[in-house]
Amino acid sequence: MRAAALWLVALVVFGVIASGCIGGEETKTSSAEVQLTGDFTKDAVEIGKILEQNGVKEVKFSAWGSGDPNSVMRVYGIVEAARRINKIWADNGINVKIVITDTHYVASFQDAYKEYLSKQPLGQAGDFFVNSYAFLPTLADEGYILDITDYAKAYQSVIDDFYPSLIEASKYNGKLYGLPQDTEARPLYIRKDVAAKIGFDLNGLDEKVKNGEFTWSDIYYWAKKAKDEGAAEWGLIHRKGSAHPDLIQFIFAFGGRLYDPNTGKLVVDVPAVYKWLYVEWKFARDGLLPEDIMSWDWAKQIHPTVVEGRTLFDIGGTWYWTEWQTKQYYAKGGTPRGLKPEEVKEWFYYTLFPAGEKGEKPVTLSQPFVWMINSKAGQLNPKYDELKDVYHKLAFLMLIKASDPDINAIHSVISAHLPVRKAAAELIKDEKWLNDLKSLNLDLSDEVKNNIRDIVQATVNPINAQFLADVSYMLEYTHLAPAHPKYPALADIFKEAVDKVLRGEMKPDEAVNYIIQKVNADPELKDAVEIQGEIPKDWKFPQG
Amino acid sequence: MRGKVRDLSFFLSPMIIMVFLFYLIPLVMTVYISMTRMRNWNVDRYLTEFVGLYNYDRLFYMFQHDPTFKAVVLTTLVFVGITLMINVFGGLALALATFFINEKSASSYRLLWLLPRMSPIAVYSLVWYYFFHGSEIGTLNSVLMHLGLISEPIPWGQVIPWGAWSIIIFVNGLVGVSFGMIVFTSALNQIPRELVVAARVDGASSWQISRRILIPMIKWHLLYVLTWQFLSLLTTYPHLFLLVQWDLVNRDYGTTLALYVFNTAFGRGEQDQGLAAAAAVILSIIGIIGGFVTLKVLKFERMMRRPRGDF
Repeated sequence: MRAAALWLVALVVFGVIASGCIGGEETKTSSAEVQLTGDFTKDAVEIGKILEQNGVKEVKFSAWGSGDPNSVMRVYGIVEAARRINKIWADNGINVKIVITDTHYVASFQDAYKEYLSKQPLGQAGDFFVNSYAFLPTLADEGYILDITDYAKAYQSVIDDFYPSLIEASKYNGKLYGLPQDTEARPLYIRKDVAAKIGFDLNGLDEKVKNGEFTWSDIYYWAKKAKDEGAAEWGLIHRKGSAHPDLIQFIFAFGGRLYDPNTGKLVVDVPAVYKWLYVEWKFARDGLLPEDIMSWDWAKQIHPTVVEGRTLFDIGGTWYWTEWQTKQYYAKGGTPRGLKPEEVKEWFYYTLFPAGEKGEKPVTLSQPFVWMINSKAGQLNPKYDELKDVYHKLAFLMLIKASDPDINAIHSVISAHLPVRKAAAELIKDEKWLNDLKSLNLDLSDEVKNNIRDIVQATVNPINAQFLADVSYMLEYTHLAPAHPKYPALADIFKEAVDKVLRGEMKPDEAVNYIIQKVNADPELKDAVEIQGEIPKDWKFPQG
Repeated sequence: MRGKVRDLSFFLSPMIIMVFLFYLIPLVMTVYISMTRMRNWNVDRYLTEFVGLYNYDRLFYMFQHDPTFKAVVLTTLVFVGITLMINVFGGLALALATFFINEKSASSYRLLWLLPRMSPIAVYSLVWYYFFHGSEIGTLNSVLMHLGLISEPIPWGQVIPWGAWSIIIFVNGLVGVSFGMIVFTSALNQIPRELVVAARVDGASSWQISRRILIPMIKWHLLYVLTWQFLSLLTTYPHLFLLVQWDLVNRDYGTTLALYVFNTAFGRGEQDQGLAAAAAVILSIIGIIGGFVTLKVLKFERMMRRPRGDF
């Protein structure tokens, strides 16, 4: 019996060790280091030499990205960066090559985030990860992505070309964890043809919106007119948001905020939230906005309703402009097809998201995507422990190169997202460059060209480029949702509240109380959120 | 005696090793992790951060304060209760029905019922997403509107509580009924054919044969399926998750306790494994208690008798 007991004890110990709870101590090794100078070619050559001296002939990296169908440059930008660095090495007689082993691209950026989160600890996540800045805080907090603050200092002149608000979006606790890849704005689209039917003069409307003259009360007035006069089935269609609801633009439009930088806490700004929910509730009760919009299908309901002119207003995104051309959402006249650029231009007016009421300012909302580097980048390559610093700096140089103005501009034009660099914004206005892009007469690898050829044919033309140039000003008015690990939980609660007021399950004041109750229900969320202000007593909507 | 013990240890050791590796160690680790702040799969950082009953405190705090928790409890009770009846008695009905018909037809018929279970979860859920969709693109709404029975589409899944409950029960019931069917069919096929033939000769109807002979002889299997399905339904959430995530059914009345905990731990930006482990422990305890009560109420001990040696 004693032997049996010893057997059992041995098995338990074995099991515990096998589970990885004990053991696995690290061994220390010498490491090679390299200093970044800010001269890209010089730094690349220096790194290449060190790799060659250590017998490394091939450096494997993988790139993970996500998003809409036309945003594939989020991973092929990395592929192109690799080719350009390989060319520098070849020109300098260095026998090393970067190989991109995987371009993992999925439609849902939330799913991509969850996959990265669960695989990074196992060493199975992509070396480059491009995703919403909203997830950067959690990844940074867990040490899953590389802190590139010091590397970026050597390349300050490049960093300075990015729009400042986007660099700020790539920071967590004051440290830089990635480089902006693209951004967008959430314009209010207006159907010109529907507006004409009801005598809605759109000339100079964007200036009125900028001045705060045209507010959501005016939106309500014209939406109701369109509905009442039979010009359109709906007055307003909007996005249905999930962990990052686009509808929080309303909070900013009513002068509210979501984050207090002094306390580092999220904010539920009660007056602004109440006004937002009231507008949603009012539009739905008057039949101007579908009460089940939060359940609508993107491809079968939301986009077809907009492109077929069954609504006057649509809260959308800049990327809609080209998505409407490459997706077969338009089914009037029988066979579904994409819109022609001329049709999009003829049918759609676009402007900022109007101020909530007189005295407030118009806004827009951006969700920058950020290139992030896995904190274990390059781990599958030879002598990782010794050359870790070298691999990480090479990964950083890859990001710098992937952010070349022409690569950023290509992505911008074909996906209808906004450029993140001023130099890229200039390129988009260059007619000669656009013609070169149209014919793919550019310095790009064949792999990249083949993957974007169809998208280029469908999206590159003067109308689309003009649209991007026109909407770039919106970045001056943009807001970002808070970069806070608990923000997705709060956003999810907002989404539920909006759905309830739209369906008439709750009145706006009940929904505000619901939000507060849900926040307070989780001790951790309660600690991370401040409830500020009270439900305004005498607020009216619409206002005269 | 010593030699016998040594022999037994030798022959049992592979099973003992497996039990340790795949059951006891994971169990201990789950309980341990539920007492850490483990999140975002960051083993290196959190595995050694012991926080006692913090995760349990947090869970019970949520249970008390979340305004939607009452709906979650109701949904869990209704979903588990009704789906359990459908799975057990539906499976029994199918098994009995196919027992009395030609074997070839019976096999084809049973195969049809296995399709839901064999379908990938996402594909299966997508079928019902479009079938029950609350607008005119929903198949059910489309058919009813063409027949003139309704003039406006009905958002079935958002009619609370019974619209949401009906859909989740239906979708899961279709998947689950086949389990009972297979077990009962196998059990029925073990009953000596002579008993059935003798009863037929004596003039018994199919109903009488079922009630007097077949069902009593598969009591143990009934108990097993009932208990197993209860434990399974208590912790299932994949189909529910998709239907809720796609906004087909109302969030509050489409969410059971298992899905509520899954969403709380994994659906809000962070991936809170510590909280999930605590929830798993709680659900396990509920399941164990429920299973124990079920066995007691149905007099499990009385079925575990030494065979009389009649056969």
